[in-house]
Amino acid sequence: MKNYKTIAMIVVATSILLIIANCNQNATTTGSGALTGSAAQKVFVPPGEHDEFYAFMSGGFSGQLAVHGLPSGRLFKVVPVFSVDAEKAYGFNEETKPMLETSYGFIPWDDSHHPDLSQTNGVIDGRWCFINANNTPRIARISLKTFETEEIIELPNSAGNHSSAFVTENTEYVVAGTRFSVPVPQRDMSIDEYKGNFKGAVSFIKIHPETGRMSLEFQILMPGFNYDLAHPGRGKSHGWMFFSTYNTEEAATLLEVNASQNDKDFIAAINWKKAEEFIKAGKYKNMPTLYAHNVYDESTHSATSTMIKEVKTLDPSELPGLVYFMPTPKSPHGCDVDPSGEYIVGSGKLAAALTVHSFSKMTAAIEAKDFDSQAYGIPILSFDATLAGTVKQPGLGPLHTEFDGKGNAYTTFFISSEVVKWKLGTWEVLDRKPTYYSVGHLMIPGGNSQKPFGKYVVALNKITKDRYIPTGPEVCQSAQLYDISGDKMELLLDFPTLGEPHYAAGCPASLIEPNQTKIYKLEDNNHPYVTKSEKDAKVVRNGKDVHVYMTMIRSHFAPDNIEGIKTGDRVYFHVTNLEQDYDVPHGISMIGANTSELLIMPGQTETFVWEPKRVGVWPFYCTDFCSALHQEMQGYVRVSPPNSNIALSWTLDGEAL
Amino acid sequence: MKRLFIFLCTGMLIFPGCDAGDNTPSSAAAASSFENNTPKGQASVVDNVSAKNILQVAAGSKDHTTLVAAVQAAEIEHILVNAGPITVFAPNNAAFDALPAGTVENLLKPENKSTLVDILSRHAAPGTFDVKQMRKEAKKARKIYTATGDYFEVTVAGDDIYVEGAKILGTIATSNGIINVVDKVILPKNN
Amino acid sequence: MRKSKLLMIIGPLFLLGLFVMPMWNITLEAPQYPEPLGMDIWINKIADHNPNDLKNINLMNHYVGMKEIPEHIGEFDIFPVVVVVMMALGLLIAFIGNYRWYLGWFILVALLGSVGMYDFYIWEYDYGHNLDPKAAIKFLDEDGNPMAYQPPLIGSKTILNFTAHSYPMMGAYMLFIGMLLSLAAFIVGLKEENQNQATL
Repeated sequence: MKNYKTIAMIVVATSILLIIANCNQNATTTGSGALTGSAAQKVFVPPGEHDEFYAFMSGGFSGQLAVHGLPSGRLFKVVPVFSVDAEKAYGFNEETKPMLETSYGFIPWDDSHHPDLSQTNGVIDGRWCFINANNTPRIARISLKTFETEEIIELPNSAGNHSSAFVTENTEYVVAGTRFSVPVPQRDMSIDEYKGNFKGAVSFIKIHPETGRMSLEFQILMPGFNYDLAHPGRGKSHGWMFFSTYNTEEAATLLEVNASQNDKDFIAAINWKKAEEFIKAGKYKNMPTLYAHNVYDESTHSATSTMIKEVKTLDPSELPGLVYFMPTPKSPHGCDVDPSGEYIVGSGKLAAALTVHSFSKMTAAIEAKDFDSQAYGIPILSFDATLAGTVKQPGLGPLHTEFDGKGNAYTTFFISSEVVKWKLGTWEVLDRKPTYYSVGHLMIPGGNSQKPFGKYVVALNKITKDRYIPTGPEVCQSAQLYDISGDKMELLLDFPTLGEPHYAAGCPASLIEPNQTKIYKLEDNNHPYVTKSEKDAKVVRNGKDVHVYMTMIRSHFAPDNIEGIKTGDRVYFHVTNLEQDYDVPHGISMIGANTSELLIMPGQTETFVWEPKRVGVWPFYCTDFCSALHQEMQGYVRVSPPNSNIALSWTLDGEAL
Repeated sequence: MKRLFIFLCTGMLIFPGCDAGDNTPSSAAAASSFENNTPKGQASVVDNVSAKNILQVAAGSKDHTTLVAAVQAAEIEHILVNAGPITVFAPNNAAFDALPAGTVENLLKPENKSTLVDILSRHAAPGTFDVKQMRKEAKKARKIYTATGDYFEVTVAGDDIYVEGAKILGTIATSNGIINVVDKVILPKNN
Repeated sequence: MRKSKLLMIIGPLFLLGLFVMPMWNITLEAPQYPEPLGMDIWINKIADHNPNDLKNINLMNHYVGMKEIPEHIGEFDIFPVVVVVMMALGLLIAFIGNYRWYLGWFILVALLGSVGMYDFYIWEYDYGHNLDPKAAIKFLDEDGNPMAYQPPLIGSKTILNFTAHSYPMMGAYMLFIGMLLSLAAFIVGLKEENQNQATL
């Protein structure tokens, strides 16, 4: 009897196990999604919880930098960088106007393309984000403590600052190359004489390791090609910088035809450690020039703009070992270096195959002087000598490649609208997924470092057409998020983006979140017109200039009644937010003022100018809903005729301050 | 016997669990279905207002039914609606008919898809090569670089323009490039 | 040295803790303050628990007409003196070594502590009830009287959208330990006395 029971138990148990196994099998055959959770679950960040990654997306022709979260795709902040922003008074208040000064004067707009994050030992450190201005060449540094633009440096001799801003692996330099070659120095000459006379400047901007302050250390004056994109060497190739070039034909007109003639253009390999030696040895020329260097000081809450009149230049035709050219088929666009630093991927945007160069083969070829020829004194390495491999027939119109740190590369194809995953070393295509539509750059958080966080890839699309509810002829720009943690990519999410997102940079939120500035300490405020307490508030007349030293705190301005202002005066409102509490900014705006509002963070001072044109009593108010009595936060200024003898007075609650 | 009972009960508990497991794949199917709701990429965009693109023009031409069928079989519609600019050297039906008997039928078979993609892509080139530009290319002895990496030679004989030996019968400007109707299918040189 | 004497020397020394650690804390929690606002009460001051907390408490409270938390009150001049005197007295008693006096010291400190707590209550009551008649926001309680915002003497209490917690901090615990040690000194002293009498 006992045996019978045991056997029966085994039979029942086995059949149950079989059913379970069968059941699991059913689940697996219907797709990995059943086990890994649906796309919706993967991008869902529950209310109150935080995204895992920051994504810093270029604002394209908005000139700004957009901060999104991944995997949700939510937009958190638009950091004003190269364009004025009325919402934040950037470029409107007296403090930030100098940020947009250039050698051409104040410029309210630019086209921002390629953000990159600071690194320490080849790993993203979450300190600063750098981004380029394409049109009037500049590089900006954004603090990731405050998410404010702290510094902008203009680049002389450059035009169409496109192969920028790329950070070397210890943030020694931010490197910026010119897309358009131009006469250097600029002069009045015939465009027909382009060939041989125009130069392409590649700028090395030194970064102070503690403060992040930028200084234009030197420029290499390259032949007159178009320098399209760049990436730094890393690991074994640290000390080198790689630039894709096109228009090695040196055409100045109808480039769509004339710059597509050569079978191969180049990837320029620049040995910047060697450049440092040449600088040290004094082998540079000081060239007179003019460029602006603008710095925002957190302690004065104000920016200054300085004009610099000289730059050190290096001439690669006279300095052997500084630059080598690696032939790369058909106008390479993207120039991407894998996490190990061994492979340099050149995406010939018109080529049928992807070309991958080997760094170790390149150094061997240099050693062996395996040169095909030279261009303007720069050796051209033989194509086969540096070739690591080609990815054959991967798609149409390859543009950019990022890496997941697991030996795989992901390349975008503009014409065939897809992301293709392929394997480094074997060059085989592993997977492809369509994008909607016409993808440009792509981004894996940390994908441009030794340590990528290969969980997601974001595809940044050029065209959206029917992907969202329409908004007239101009429809939104768009990104798409793919899960790349498995063997096959999985499309998770479409989300709209600002301007045209060119490149993006990303990193784990945990690198940035703990260092956030929450308030500016009032005691550390060194603004020349700060008012640190209500009793110090005052109004001072200096001829036609009137300076209002004003404070704001929940829920009033001090003073909030001012009399004695006259038409024809120039009234400076220097307003200090006395709050010392996180997320309590106040705004201020004045009727008829020809400028934007101010949006002032706790402990900060900002200034706007008002030139009253009409006699009367004119109100101002807080523009940021600050408190339960926000609607009560307002005041009046009495404006009298120029010949009036009304004395200057300022009060709060009917009493002098 | 008691233990057997427990086993059976456990079994009962597992069965509903299995049903729930069967339900999950349906959400996975829903998740993957949005990847396929526009299988042809931009070619799926419905737009009757904009100027017609290369695919729309070709689809409306009764002389290009074979080409359009081939593009559909190769599933490369989205390439012909891309922002471009691209120039397509579009063989007409007669050009396909001139191929050895059975060639087209053979290429349309699913197993030959990659060959078909290659042949069709050879007929597309980045850039805007209208009649004026083609004459210029011929005059300057510049070749046209195609999507497959081939170089096409352009020659002019009297009023006629030839690309890689195929005569251009007509040129149509579209919203995203140029269609040059040709009288021959341009096959790889080594064939 | 006798154990009771040793305990009585250590006990009053614990009062030193009041000079280096706050003795009481009131914390205000609300959804919009993921990091709650807190004030620490020392024997000589009221201070921020985190930077700017007092300023932010005052800012919130001014809408309902509560006075600003005083930076200085008369008690802050007296408390340190009282603590030093009591400590000195305790040590003196310890060296004299009459265990009966140990109990006396304990009772005296307990009495003074109670007076301190009562004083604290009076201040809290005034702080929560004595409101500016021009206050922007006036709430009424269930009985139709002006609402009071007095924090609890000890414990937790919901006041509008805030939850107020009022609890002793390390300084107060040091005081309690010191007092308990003096009580222990008395009990040990009593036992020692009994043993002495037994051996005699």
